[in-house]
Amino acid sequence: MTAGERSAAGGERAAGDGERPAADGVLAGLAGILARVTGRADLSVIAPETALFGDGVGLDSLTGTMLLVEVQHQFGVDVAAEDLNLDSLATLASLAAFISERLPS
Amino acid sequence: MIKCVVWDIDNTLLAGTYLESGEQPPEPDPELLGVLRELGRRGIVHALASKNPPEAADYVATVTGVPFAAAECGWGRKSDALRRIIDDLGLGADAVAFVDDDLMERAEVAAALPEVLVLLPEDAAEAPSWPEFQPAVLTAEGRRRGEMYAQRRRRQQEARAFGGSRDDFLRRAGTQVLIAPAGLGEVPRLHELSVRTHQFNTGGDPVGEDELAGLLGSARHRLVTARLRDRFGDDGIVGGVLIDRGEANDSGVPPGPGAARSWTVPLLMMSCRALGRGVLDALLAALCQRAAADGAAELRMPCLVTDRNLPLRLALAAAGFRAGAAPRPGEPALFARPLDGKLPGLPDWATVADWP
Repeated sequence: MTAGERSAAGGERAAGDGERPAADGVLAGLAGILARVTGRADLSVIAPETALFGDGVGLDSLTGTMLLVEVQHQFGVDVAAEDLNLDSLATLASLAAFISERLPS
Repeated sequence: MIKCVVWDIDNTLLAGTYLESGEQPPEPDPELLGVLRELGRRGIVHALASKNPPEAADYVATVTGVPFAAAECGWGRKSDALRRIIDDLGLGADAVAFVDDDLMERAEVAAALPEVLVLLPEDAAEAPSWPEFQPAVLTAEGRRRGEMYAQRRRRQQEARAFGGSRDDFLRRAGTQVLIAPAGLGEVPRLHELSVRTHQFNTGGDPVGEDELAGLLGSARHRLVTARLRDRFGDDGIVGGVLIDRGEANDSGVPPGPGAARSWTVPLLMMSCRALGRGVLDALLAALCQRAAADGAAELRMPCLVTDRNLPLRLALAAAGFRAGAAPRPGEPALFARPLDGKLPGLPDWATVADWP
């Protein structure tokens, strides 16, 4: 699947969530990305307060980079450029909030 | 400096067209075969980008006997194939050359990827004499690079088919990371890492062999290597760390355990082929644990903030490091981590040798 096809898939999912607040669509999209980049299907249904580093998702340099590249493709938000300390990667919810605030309208 | 050459197949590496040759595909071009081997000896890796079925890449690998680090076969744009190879190998576009006999292909790649060195097959035949193809330093690891990338392809194929977590795959692959103090014999490799690493390099400037050798005898400094192997192959030394244990006191001895001070890491570097194999996590955990055992209250790591070193900064964030303030352009940010409380755990595939 190319980056373009992935973006299209993300777009369809977001459209299906039309009645819910944007943050929920972002959360669902993020969980899907996490499951893909880590190869762990169980992550597609994790709680928003799950930590992304350490004992939670266990993101590392490789999976973290893949996550942020996918986030940029799907949501148009360059997290690495706007968050020096990557504090937005604390939990799934904090990353979703960071993205939602910056979604191109 | 070119680290990877991406080759077209039809009428470039092969003296003819793979699909139009009937029963017996064409032989390799003898002159370019010599170039493949010579560049391989210099630690430059090869890859294929061809508008052919994947069998063509297997055929070329067999008839040339040369390992290819990546092969992109298909009918899409060659610039997209090059982008995938560049991403896959963790290279910068300016470290890649592309050789193709077809004018349209060369023009398409040159327009889409202006940093890539685009060559005619005739140019490539002369390339070994050009400075861009002559690595400044070449070590045993450097010479074996082509073979190691081929091992990497096998590892990645198995990882894709595995389906479990990364950690489970690292264990299944028999991953072993050994972190140990450096000796004089490892200085050339550490120098080479300081020249070649960019994505995983907190400093940015090469460190000379004399300077590294001098640091080996310093009571204040420690020089550490990380070795990586698994059942697919032995990658040798893939990482290096320079540690500054802090100012000596009046008697010229670094303060012992209990004295309030910090460890600083002026340079941490890792080969990009170790990405995703648990080396960085192991190094950062070992550093935190050793610094705490040495009585340091804080571990400091100045690190340039660039687009390319995002994976490194992610590893720092994962290990609990934070930068105090946004750095001035061109200066490193000071990432730091307090050493009280819970330290990052050493992964079970890592071993830390005693170091004085």
